[in-house]
Amino acid sequence: MMTIDPALIRNFCIIAHIDHGKSTLADRLLEATNAVSERDKKDQFLDNMELERERGITIKAQTARMNFTAEDGKTYVLNLIDTPGHVDFSYEVSRALSACEGALLIVDAAQGIEAQTLANAYLAVEANLELIPVVNKIDLPSADPDRVAQEIEDVIGLDAADVLPVSAKTGVGIDAILQAIVDRIPPPAGEATAPAQALIFDAYFDSYVGVVMIVRVVNGVLHKRERIKFMVAGIEQEITRLDVIDPTPRSVDSLAAGEVGMVIAGIKTLGDIKIGDTITTAAKGAAEALAGFQEVKAMVFTGLYPVDSEDYEDLKVALEKLKLNDASISYEPETSAALGFGFRCGFLGFLHAEIVQERLEREYDLDLITTAPTVRYLVVPRDGDPFEIESPAALPESAEIHEIQEPVVLATIHVPSDYLGAVLGLCQDRRGVQKDMGVHGTRVQVRYELPLNEIVTDFHDRLKSATRGYGSFDYDLVGFRPADLVKLDVMVNGDAVDALSLIVHKDKAYGRGSELTKKLKEFIPRQQFPIAIQAAIGSRIIARTTVRAVRKNVLAKCYGGDITRKRKLLEKQKAGKKRMKMVGSVEIPQEAFLAALRLGDD
Amino acid sequence: MAEDFDVFDDGAVGVYLHLPFCERICPYCDFAVVAAPELGAGREARYVSNLLTELKARRSDFEGRALASLYFGGGTPSLFTPQSIRELALAVGAAFAERGDDAAGGRVPEIETTLEVNPSTIEWARLPDFRAAGINRLSIGVQSFNDTLLKRLGRAHRAPIARETLCAARAAGFDNLSIDLIFAAPGESQGDLARDLDELLEWEPEHISTYELTFEPETPFGRALAAGKMNSCDEDLAADMTLQIEGRLKASGFGRYEISNYSRGEETRSQHNQRYWQRQAVLGLGMGAHSAEARSAGLPHGARRANPRRLGEWEERIRTDPARTGDEERLSVAGSRGEAVFLALRQAEGLSALRFEAEFGGSPRVFFEAEIEAMIRRGWLIEGGRVAGDLRLSDLGRLLADDVAAEFVAAV
Ligand SMILES: Nc1nc2c(ncn2[C@@H]2O[C@H](COP(=O)(O)OP(=O)(O)OP(=O)(O)O)[C@@H](O)[C@H]2O)c(=O)[nH]1
Ligand code: SF4
Ligand SMILES: [Mg+2]
Repeated sequence: MMTIDPALIRNFCIIAHIDHGKSTLADRLLEATNAVSERDKKDQFLDNMELERERGITIKAQTARMNFTAEDGKTYVLNLIDTPGHVDFSYEVSRALSACEGALLIVDAAQGIEAQTLANAYLAVEANLELIPVVNKIDLPSADPDRVAQEIEDVIGLDAADVLPVSAKTGVGIDAILQAIVDRIPPPAGEATAPAQALIFDAYFDSYVGVVMIVRVVNGVLHKRERIKFMVAGIEQEITRLDVIDPTPRSVDSLAAGEVGMVIAGIKTLGDIKIGDTITTAAKGAAEALAGFQEVKAMVFTGLYPVDSEDYEDLKVALEKLKLNDASISYEPETSAALGFGFRCGFLGFLHAEIVQERLEREYDLDLITTAPTVRYLVVPRDGDPFEIESPAALPESAEIHEIQEPVVLATIHVPSDYLGAVLGLCQDRRGVQKDMGVHGTRVQVRYELPLNEIVTDFHDRLKSATRGYGSFDYDLVGFRPADLVKLDVMVNGDAVDALSLIVHKDKAYGRGSELTKKLKEFIPRQQFPIAIQAAIGSRIIARTTVRAVRKNVLAKCYGGDITRKRKLLEKQKAGKKRMKMVGSVEIPQEAFLAALRLGDD
Repeated sequence: MAEDFDVFDDGAVGVYLHLPFCERICPYCDFAVVAAPELGAGREARYVSNLLTELKARRSDFEGRALASLYFGGGTPSLFTPQSIRELALAVGAAFAERGDDAAGGRVPEIETTLEVNPSTIEWARLPDFRAAGINRLSIGVQSFNDTLLKRLGRAHRAPIARETLCAARAAGFDNLSIDLIFAAPGESQGDLARDLDELLEWEPEHISTYELTFEPETPFGRALAAGKMNSCDEDLAADMTLQIEGRLKASGFGRYEISNYSRGEETRSQHNQRYWQRQAVLGLGMGAHSAEARSAGLPHGARRANPRRLGEWEERIRTDPARTGDEERLSVAGSRGEAVFLALRQAEGLSALRFEAEFGGSPRVFFEAEIEAMIRRGWLIEGGRVAGDLRLSDLGRLLADDVAAEFVAAV
């Protein structure tokens, strides 16, 4: 079996701001190299998750291998990794970078540089990658490739002359990109003769073969049937299958230094293997593991509960499996009086939380209730040391609290100057403090300090609509600041519905409280007794409404002889009741929780 | 004493004949009906002949049982000619050799024989002939004596026609009349209901059925409600109306023997309808008719058969397999237990613990301890009475009969 000369390998990823055309460009590259047959062609070929196709965004980084015959007549193996552009999935980008020597930095020729362009470019530079700047969508009437090339030089410091203009839509400029990948990106540096070291940079669970790992072989060679060792996990296993992905898996006998591929080693127990681990051979293995990945810190937290409490174990297994594929989620068991057993989960952002919930529901066939998203707060008690909380339920009595601090981010917002006013208004409304402002041609970059909890849910959407889609933002956590925060509780007949508790700024408590009580009233059916729905801060009631007691529930008709139908109606009624959650003696239907929890984002 | 209770199959059969045609379809109706502005002689003859075929093919399922009741329901059965009705009644009588008489000689059955009648000019003229055809009980779809409400309900008739029909019924010698009343119609007030009840009572019927208007999903009313184009009656008002009816009818000497049925005395209760509630055998013939098959060794909890709700489909079955017109549903023991409870609770007598035990091998409490306790604690159920362990609904529980009933069925 011949291994490929590393000099003929190029590993690169495609990075950009969201929607600048990474996946579409990947389509053209796959086509130009005949990696995808005419029959299998489809738009955004690599976005193969149902959710990605529905939403038109990339969620998971995706690997594909191509063969390209360059101007020098040699055939090169090009390994492409398409990455997501949305800020919530930047962990995907950072891992993809570790498998590459270069990156195509795509910039939309009409939009120019946006927040995530910069953020991803910096990540790539930090990872020592060779950057190839590409201006995409030059076919658009509003495209201004020269201006954008200049912007790339001014803001990122890459030579405008090196910028490649393309249209991923029409295919103009694609060959030049392929040639540039060969010319400008260095071949992988590893040594095929050294002890094997392969970095697991992605993985997923397949119900037939178990854990499937996507690796970049850094040094040495991995062979099929070989015994391998996971250096961090400390376990040994035999390789049952090796694949390259071009772009569907194709079995190979070995993967050598510089190559990217798939490893299957009969691992069925979850939790054994983590992304970032190093694979070496069991015999004559490497002495040291490769640097893995930094643990990412979750920004947004929600409680995830199965609608049917019997699904708790299924949810647990589903989370374990999903965690393998998305190491950025964190979770730990949590109990709610209203919702039963579930998990407190941490996410990188609100979209991330939403996507994870949807993946759990679709890929694992679960029905879930998600509690309102919250951020991590720092509680400074009157006595004792400050501590962080990730759930409103963990907040002590107000008498015990000296102060609550909330996480604050430094948000960098890019916006055409026409929309500046709207953006400043939005930031003001979200308790922002302006830090600085810079003008680049017709675009403005403003920086604001904003409380994280003001931006986790709908800030991005509001920004988009205030700027007709032209504004973008990125943020970094800068620390905790004291704020006038209160815990808002919702009570039914005096019992707190813990799943609906919120930590909110005092000025917004009243509005949220009356919204919540109104919504609940709509969805809680009349019961044997009147139900008082209250919103309270501590013992102070700030909103109140009542659901009257049920008076009557009887179908007058017994449907002639159709007793079966009557029984079925009753059975349905009973099933509906079973799906209700008991808070004290009040039955609350799932829909009430869902409606109340959805309140924030519409 | 035990023999009072261990008889849960009376060994008889009630026969229900469904005659599905109506002059026009009321917008709230979800019965198995066929619109027939003009029920031609050809269509009538064909339907009658199909019914006779089905009767012949299916009567063996009820072999050896005495005929307990006969019911012509619909639809509007009174659209059929008295000749047709007579022919059908004779055939049923002959099939079950009613009371041991040889009915072949042309005697109509002497058991309760009900015809549903809608107020209309054609029908009242035929009433004497219906009487001669063996009908001895009329159930008249008056619904209201208030033209505004009748119009709002989309009914074909108006109050004066209803009055004429009632007069004609008495004149024809019917001494067992039941009147149907709908309440909680859109915009109806308690005053409107009081006037309806007053007039209803003036007619001194033997039996009254009162139905709260329900918005069935697959009807024009149901769709209008879902689309927000119509409002259903406020729940509190509907509850008050229920109590109003109960009070008024009781004060006038009527007893409520089932959630929505009142009669002057025990003998004028609907023998036929009670068979459903008491889970006795019923042979249902015709499009969309339901049968309750008797319990047997093979089917300890009996079975049901539902005929197709479409005319064409039923006719097709008559052609191909008249002995099996409807799909069978075999009752599970749990399903049966639930039904036994909720059907019994809808009746004034309530659930007899001994009878229940005879059928299911344990008292209601053996199977439903927690539910019964909870319902008693809420004041919805009353335990005891004639025999310890018997259960019946309280006044409060009657308004919430479905909530109570749901406790006793399996969740799906
Ligand atoms: N006119 C034009 N449209 C393009 C071009 N490239 C991409 N698009 C369109 O831009 C939109 C976004 O393209 P994608 O390829 O999904 O963008 P992406 O960068 O992969 O997006 P994320 O993965 O979600 O960050 C799609 O509607 C594409 O059809 C181009 O060259 N010209
Ligand atoms: S008359 Fe009776 S059966 Fe006929 S459509 Fe009206 S409600 Fe239905
Ligand atoms: Mg994409």
